[in-house]
Amino acid sequence: MAALPLGAARRHHELHAGTASLIQDIDKKHLVLLRDGRTLIGYLRSIDQFANLVLHQTVERIHVGKKYGDIPRGIFVVRGENVVLLGEIDLEKESDTPLQQVSIEEILEEQRVEQQAKQESEKLKVQALKERGLSVPRADTLDEY
Amino acid sequence: MFLKGYNGLILKDYLLVEDAPLLQEMAEDDEELNMCNEMTFGLDHDSTEEGTAKPLMSLEVSPVLKEEVAEETGEKLEPGVAEQLEELGEPQEEGGMELDAEQICSELEEEEEELGTEEQEEDQEPYEEPNNLGDPAVMKAVQSKPTLESQDSAVLDSKIGTCWAEFGKEDMLAVDPAVWGSCPGSIPPHHVLEDKAILQVLERPPPSTNVAHDFLGSPMQRSYRGSPRLKHPDLRLMSPKSFPQRFLQQQSPLIPLSPCSPRPFTLARRPLLFASNQTTGYAPPTPFRPMSPNISSPPRSLAMHFGPMSPSLDPALFLSPSASSQLNLSTPSHMTQLHPQHQRILTQRQQQDEQAQSISPKNLWSPKVDPYAGLMTSKEKDWVVKVEMIQLQSENMDDDYYYQTYYHRLEHRQTEEELFGGRNKQEPPKLVTPFIQKVEMYDSVVRIAGSLGQVAVSTCYSPRRAIDAVHHALVEEAAGSQRLRALHRIEKLFVQLLEVEEAQRKMSLGLEEQQQPSCQEQKSQEVEHIYQALKIRACSSEEEAEDEFLQLLCVRKGKKLTARLLPHLSREQAEKILLTITHHLPFLMKKDMLDESLPLLYSPLNEVVGRMTFSKLIKILQEMTRPLHESPELPLAMALKNQFGISLLYSLLSHGERLLSSDVPLEPCSGDFETWTDTVFLVARELSQVPKALLVEPLFLPSNLLSLFCRYLDKQTVHHLEAKMECSPLPSEAAMPC
Repeated sequence: MAALPLGAARRHHELHAGTASLIQDIDKKHLVLLRDGRTLIGYLRSIDQFANLVLHQTVERIHVGKKYGDIPRGIFVVRGENVVLLGEIDLEKESDTPLQQVSIEEILEEQRVEQQAKQESEKLKVQALKERGLSVPRADTLDEY
Repeated sequence: MFLKGYNGLILKDYLLVEDAPLLQEMAEDDEELNMCNEMTFGLDHDSTEEGTAKPLMSLEVSPVLKEEVAEETGEKLEPGVAEQLEELGEPQEEGGMELDAEQICSELEEEEEELGTEEQEEDQEPYEEPNNLGDPAVMKAVQSKPTLESQDSAVLDSKIGTCWAEFGKEDMLAVDPAVWGSCPGSIPPHHVLEDKAILQVLERPPPSTNVAHDFLGSPMQRSYRGSPRLKHPDLRLMSPKSFPQRFLQQQSPLIPLSPCSPRPFTLARRPLLFASNQTTGYAPPTPFRPMSPNISSPPRSLAMHFGPMSPSLDPALFLSPSASSQLNLSTPSHMTQLHPQHQRILTQRQQQDEQAQSISPKNLWSPKVDPYAGLMTSKEKDWVVKVEMIQLQSENMDDDYYYQTYYHRLEHRQTEEELFGGRNKQEPPKLVTPFIQKVEMYDSVVRIAGSLGQVAVSTCYSPRRAIDAVHHALVEEAAGSQRLRALHRIEKLFVQLLEVEEAQRKMSLGLEEQQQPSCQEQKSQEVEHIYQALKIRACSSEEEAEDEFLQLLCVRKGKKLTARLLPHLSREQAEKILLTITHHLPFLMKKDMLDESLPLLYSPLNEVVGRMTFSKLIKILQEMTRPLHESPELPLAMALKNQFGISLLYSLLSHGERLLSSDVPLEPCSGDFETWTDTVFLVARELSQVPKALLVEPLFLPSNLLSLFCRYLDKQTVHHLEAKMECSPLPSEAAMPC
């Protein structure tokens, strides 16, 4: 199959010069951070004017501490408004990370432990505040992670 | 949720293993149907989804198949199958299940082929004759209890469950993702094992290499490994843990797919996702289509049903590119609406980038061909870019003020540099790039005669404008402070002024040549309106605090408003303002002590002064020399201590001197010259009397003041004044007439 002929690529450079567009990011590996806290890594295949993304060979990466685990997810279509940020991954520097990859089970376990610890500390905090007569309303937002 | 139920299903099935004979009859109806339906979805599951559904299928299929096989071990399979299938034979309702059932039927039969059944030809018929009720091999679906899929919220929401009949087989592809649903953001621990993707990963044999490297490896193979299309389910050894493993083992013979020409089925669907040709080095497997040589016709016939789509569908799917062609952005300049300076900078940057890119090691990756590249055709990219560019267009300069101003100034600076640097480089000194007018002029408000209100016309420019939301602002009669009221008035007038200036700018750009006179008229009308709103009137010194115009002038923004309005006013109106200001100068100066914003008015007033007649000038000067009730000081004297005051005074004197020394006939009124002379003397006296420390430096010191004084005063005084005013001495003292 043909990659885009160079002329066409350059034309796309021109067309959107000066504007922030994801056109140049097509077919490149990206890291996408979603509003619900998920981190997706995949090849950006398609976009539209709302910055909805089509990610290919997507992997959801869960980070806990210095470890991470990947869950292959296939094709993602992400609604643009749910993206916090995304950035291109340098394929050479990709493996150059101090983080350690672990298995899914392990990372999920770690995550669970972390969540538990967080919940515990949160509970204690709420309890302490309650004792002092302060009540913090629960923030029931999607963006909390 | 679907997953939950599914999980329950698995467990239930495990129980069945032990009680296979007992539960067989019970489970037959349900399981068969479920299996049928799920296999349907699995059937149409696109290979590119990397088998996220495969574990699902595997676990679903096996319990059902195991029953059959358990039942038929040693027996001939086909009749058994036929029996079971016939049990399902019920009047077809909605025909919805029928097609699916037939597909599943064929699938089942294919599986059973491997088990060694003979009759296959018959079973292939259903595809060609979906309504062949007479054929005992034809499975008829039963609308039994709702399947899990039909209860899935995603399915219900999209009403897919009710529309299955209408969907062609090819649409199963579209339906499929909805059915599978999506996992929540953070996977709750107890749902982990329900997450198909996770399951798939868990099931996978321990990868020796980094998982990430699988990306560019054949994703199909990866998914295929998890594929549930088992051929020989060893059901006796069934146990939950080794469940997945079995499939992997059993899949092995199927993994090395011959890289033969892609099945017509897959080829037909390929264009849906990939615009480019997928031939080299990529074998798109169909997980549920074993490459057994025995099966030759079904795939093809299936292809007829499953994939009637032509490659030409691809662009058609994206209606947008075709729609955009109707946008008729014929002017190529729509792409060049960036400020030329900006464009220049960016093209430079691009060139640098490209140079850098060609050297960058990133290009080492490109030789490694990405089979999925080019999903987005250049046509689609162009379309997106077009939409983005359209969004940038705006007739309203205020939207883009900073961008425009920045580039104007940049250009100014560059042209200046060139002038001083003496460079010959020809940078076109285009200052203003007019925004490209939106090609589509739309009428956002459609009023149909006789209707109440408006028709909601929503376009992409005004998606939700349904009513003319007119802000009926109540006049603030509140007992709020006068200052607030003044501020409010200022704001209102300012807005009007901005509109006037906008119109002015547009006119000066000459955009609408033929509409200029009407625009001019409109503009002058609005200016008049603002002027009237200022409520300038004569008032005595007692009423100064209450006078509305003066109140406006006490506020910095009010001064600014007046300053910006002055150029647009007629001469009489401008002079009236000048008169008022001069008349109330002490008051204004007093009020301005904190703010010190009066100098804002200097420049426009200077212009006004410069156009005044001599008589008018005299009148103004008289204001400055009239005695005040409140203090013994003359306004004149007070003005000397105020920057604005002294500047205004000098400006007036300078103009007078200019008029006198010029040959223009002055047409003075009687007594003008005397007043003039008196004024000059007064000024001189005050100047000499005021202590130097209090004498403020003016904003601008006219050069002809000394010559003015020379005309009337003696040399000594002039020198004295000269020293005080710190103005540059006259070129030659000998030339002085005094």
